[in-house]
Amino acid sequence: MFEKRDEQLISQALKGNRRAWLALIKRYESQIYHYGIRMTGNTHDAADLMQDIFVSVYRSLGNYRGEGSFKGWLFRVAHFRCIEFYRRKRPEQGLDDTPEPECDQHCPESGYFRDRASENLMQAMQRLPLAQKAVVELKFFGQFTFDEIAEQLGLSANTVKSRLYSALSKLKLELEVENA
Amino acid sequence: MHNPNHEHLLAKWLENSLSESERQEFESLCVHDEAFAQRVESANTMTMMAEQFEEVPVPAWDRESTFITPERSRWWQWQGLPMASMAMSALAMVMVVSGFRVDVADGRLSMGFSDAPDQQEIAAMMDRKITDYQQSNQALFTQYVDALSTQQQKNSAELTQYLLSSSRQERREDFAELVKFINEQRSDDQRFYARQINNLQQEISALEAGYSSVPPLVTPNLTDDE
Repeated sequence: MFEKRDEQLISQALKGNRRAWLALIKRYESQIYHYGIRMTGNTHDAADLMQDIFVSVYRSLGNYRGEGSFKGWLFRVAHFRCIEFYRRKRPEQGLDDTPEPECDQHCPESGYFRDRASENLMQAMQRLPLAQKAVVELKFFGQFTFDEIAEQLGLSANTVKSRLYSALSKLKLELEVENA
Repeated sequence: MHNPNHEHLLAKWLENSLSESERQEFESLCVHDEAFAQRVESANTMTMMAEQFEEVPVPAWDRESTFITPERSRWWQWQGLPMASMAMSALAMVMVVSGFRVDVADGRLSMGFSDAPDQQEIAAMMDRKITDYQQSNQALFTQYVDALSTQQQKNSAELTQYLLSSSRQERREDFAELVKFINEQRSDDQRFYARQINNLQQEISALEAGYSSVPPLVTPNLTDDE
């Protein structure tokens, strides 16, 4: 069945078409939900974040000018909502280069994935600072280019590359520990 | 210590856009730089794990709650209202500062914030008002005199008519009385002359009887009716 383009669904949703909006949600909810899981390490928080993201996207849907892909714009909104989420949940935690605290009350949810590797990867990502985690997420899972990531995060491409470089070093260590 | 060139090479490798010389440099680094090689290995692992990452079903959630029907704004929430209020305030201030005034003309009332009018203006206004008052009084008096004159003319005409009609009646009655009086007088005179004639007849008869024994002549009896 021929699917409508994102722009068509957005245009209809802006005119108050509920079905178009729901179709747009269904198209991206899985990606956003998994983004939430990897960014928060928690399915409950991921569900809250997903709802928060889509509410925010709907409210600012009129601001989407069609410059660039909708997916890129969606993940840009998701990133801002994720930062807000972190500020609410962990106000004492720095957002840039401070590593995530050791497992305490915010311990990543375990046992949710049947696949051990996925579980390990998610837990390893939780130990990255938010700024690096966002770059890893967008690069390896979102399949965005460095320029796109830089635009979404409001950074220079060199900064994005630098953060990924640092994140890969830490991920190597984390994954080794997890697999040990 | 990060080397920007290493970051650049790794980034280009991830995006599969290495040139031939960069590829050679990249491969050389993978062989000779263990830290770089570990990062490349991590990137490879991450790429592979991302492709194999387990997809979990999205839990049921209230998608409808994200669709917020746009509320029709009330008139007091109109976006232009603050601007209109500000513009009106500025206008009011300008009116006050500039001594805004509107003249009164042809009975139309106007408002303003100017100072009180000077003496000449007051005198002119008073003159105008007095003149208007005089003119209106004059017109009223003229109208009153006209009405009074008309009423008087009407009354005089009615009186004359009455007098004419009443004198005519009186004269008619007077003539009737006169005719009646004359008729009565004539009747009295006739009676008087009849009586005189009778008396005269009787005297004549008596005289005739005294001179002769011839019985008196029978004469017709005259009555009042004759």
